Amino acid sequence: MEFTRRDLLTWGSGITAGLVLTPVPWKLLDDTSIWTQNWPWIPQPARGPVEVKNSFCALCPNGCGMRVRMAAGWPVGISGMQHHPVNRGALCPLGFGAHQLNWHPRRLRQVGHQGRACSWSDALAAFRKACAEGPVAIIDGYPDRAASAICHGFARRHGSYRVALRAEQRALLPYEKWSGVPAAALGYDLENTGTILSFGAPLLDGWSAPGRFARLWSVRGAGSADSQLRLIQVEAAPSHTAACAWRWVPIMPGSDAALAAGIALVLHEEHRTAPNAPVPSTTLADAAARTGLSVDAIRDLARLLCEHGPALAISAQPNPAVAALNVALGAIGTRGGIVRRGRRTEPLAAADTLPSHLRAVLVDASVPADFLASTEAEIFRFAAWEGSAGRNDWLLPAPGFLEELTDIPTAPLSSIETYAVAPPLSKPPAEVKSAAQFLMAVDSSIPDVEKIIHARCRQLFQSRAGHLQGEELAAAAPPESAQAFEKQLWSGAVWVGDPPHFGGIPCRLTAWPQSAAPVARAGWTAAWPAPVLPPLATKLYQESSLREPPERRAI
Amino acid sequence: MNTRYGMVIDVDRCTGCGACMIACAAENNVPPAAERATPRTGITPMLVHTVSNGMEGSLKREAFLPVACMQCENETPCVKVCPQQAVEVDASTGIVMQMPQRCLGCRYCMTACPYHARYFNWWDPAWPAGMEKSLNPGVAVRMRGVVEKCNLCHARLHAAQEKAAAAGKREIDPRDYVPACVEACPTGAITFGSLADENCAAARAARSPEAFRLLARLGTEPKVYYRSARAWVRALAEPRNETRRKEVQRG
Repeated sequence: MEFTRRDLLTWGSGITAGLVLTPVPWKLLDDTSIWTQNWPWIPQPARGPVEVKNSFCALCPNGCGMRVRMAAGWPVGISGMQHHPVNRGALCPLGFGAHQLNWHPRRLRQVGHQGRACSWSDALAAFRKACAEGPVAIIDGYPDRAASAICHGFARRHGSYRVALRAEQRALLPYEKWSGVPAAALGYDLENTGTILSFGAPLLDGWSAPGRFARLWSVRGAGSADSQLRLIQVEAAPSHTAACAWRWVPIMPGSDAALAAGIALVLHEEHRTAPNAPVPSTTLADAAARTGLSVDAIRDLARLLCEHGPALAISAQPNPAVAALNVALGAIGTRGGIVRRGRRTEPLAAADTLPSHLRAVLVDASVPADFLASTEAEIFRFAAWEGSAGRNDWLLPAPGFLEELTDIPTAPLSSIETYAVAPPLSKPPAEVKSAAQFLMAVDSSIPDVEKIIHARCRQLFQSRAGHLQGEELAAAAPPESAQAFEKQLWSGAVWVGDPPHFGGIPCRLTAWPQSAAPVARAGWTAAWPAPVLPPLATKLYQESSLREPPERRAI
Repeated sequence: MNTRYGMVIDVDRCTGCGACMIACAAENNVPPAAERATPRTGITPMLVHTVSNGMEGSLKREAFLPVACMQCENETPCVKVCPQQAVEVDASTGIVMQMPQRCLGCRYCMTACPYHARYFNWWDPAWPAGMEKSLNPGVAVRMRGVVEKCNLCHARLHAAQEKAAAAGKREIDPRDYVPACVEACPTGAITFGSLADENCAAARAARSPEAFRLLARLGTEPKVYYRSARAWVRALAEPRNETRRKEVQRG
């Protein structure tokens, strides 16, 4: 039989038509789709048992409670701890990507000396030599931890201990000066405040423990014309906090002190100031001219503060005029105002000014990345990531996120005392060492972090003050023994101290303070302590227009 | 009665912090931005927009509008146009599902979506070395060349269903299924639940007189509602009259 060209075309058409009517091409297409989604270079998540552990974020001193989802022994997801007394289940946006920080390309894994790779023994030898030659200063960014006790103990023998205070902590320094009560023992009783007058403080945008105010605002203030908590935002330019505030008062940049004085003047005229409160020497017309507001607007603002009390003024930076306004409002040591927590009597020595003739300065990894040590001494800086500001003679790799055992003392600005323990959840790289471990290697008589935490847990149990709070503790009886108490703390419970006691802050302010210099507006990453952002932060500024790109930080 | 999962987003509670965006990306193994990625080419299944009342100076007011897939119930535009049947509405939950395995990357669905809530994977998903250990094992990483979108954290629904099945139950405990954005919101601005359940907080919130839906006039019956006491925010839900008139003229 002859096979013609016509037969070839007929057979070919028949085969093509037949194939189309069979599932074969569709199966091939499907298989191709699946195959092309499984290239070997596409990352595959690690497989392994999944569990959820309670922990606490130690990146900044707010120590927010977290639930960490672990898979195959690594943290793969973070959510807030609902029962935490301070952050109440909320976290800062960057915290949700913090578990990826440990693999950041700028992670430090090698000791460096002026740009050259060195070993830990070199760094130890250099620091021992420095200690022998002269006084050293230890700078801490997260005081009251067990690691801080080690730093403090070492500094007592070899020099001095300083703390790099954050802006919101420094805002409490005027009260320390006027009352003698350490700023570190003061907090804002926001839970009972009626009206908050915020002078540019980013209350809803990363201020203090971000979740604390966000939760309070959402429950007591948000979305209601007649809210229990009124937030009045005084700020020159619109901000995230101004957008959500009950009222936004735009004023001329740098005129915060003039407005505070103007409001105090109105309160004085209307006999609404606290007894013995100083009177500003300015006039209402002058305050109006400086702020760009009308005299009537300033009067209205003062009346708003009085009609829905207790009222409290908060500034983003230290501003004595705003602090004096709180004195005039009677917000010192009262419900809904500035309260004293705990029994601390010694103020923290700020690291803004360091003693002269220092031989060396050791900067702990908890110190914010943008801190600049004003010294000519040799600087030993611990950091988990590259990018810390200033001259760092020695750059020493420190444990990263959730990589070391630490305790979590009371958050700054909190009105209640808290204590928690955060065991390590991630295995740190072999090359890293914390400042506490480094100091223990220099001075072997210093007890380690774990021993100090055990001692603190026992001390808290014996004090019989406060109570434990945690996700699994709702129906459980209080622990009967120190061991049971400690076990619960190690598994994620939080010790909560007694409520704040009002009074006990004798504020002696005889004259209205001088105006503070205007402070530049901080960016949205100002509260983030690490020099790098979680890689997923690109969602906020590169893949959306929600935020401005950060200036100095690395992605 | 079938479940109809949906959300009510209280615009007056949203502070624009972006926690929902990062929590969503971490939960769903969305990679960080590629070097050349922009707001148009990045992947943000949950995207917070800043909107204003159009005034200037001291009269200017802003609000934040989180936008994800609206989970359209009626004539779902993306389902209608997909030539690969890679998108479908789950009849039992109402969730608009995207199946990347079937997706050819033609992007018809992106064109059809009136909310611009779909994203194309322009680049291979990449994380810095070692960071793959931090990926969520419950969600597969999607390949370059496919479209993706919010699926209301479907992996969490699966986990809740498995938990219920292990306990011998047919229905899941609503507390076991909460999408990542809802869980992350520090002000509790997002209420999630079955809109078909009269007793559910989300269903109640959706019936509020201050609740509204974006582009409701299209008739796609989105299951994501918004709520605001501010009239100017509610007015943003529909295009202004001028825009609308032009659309009508164009047919």
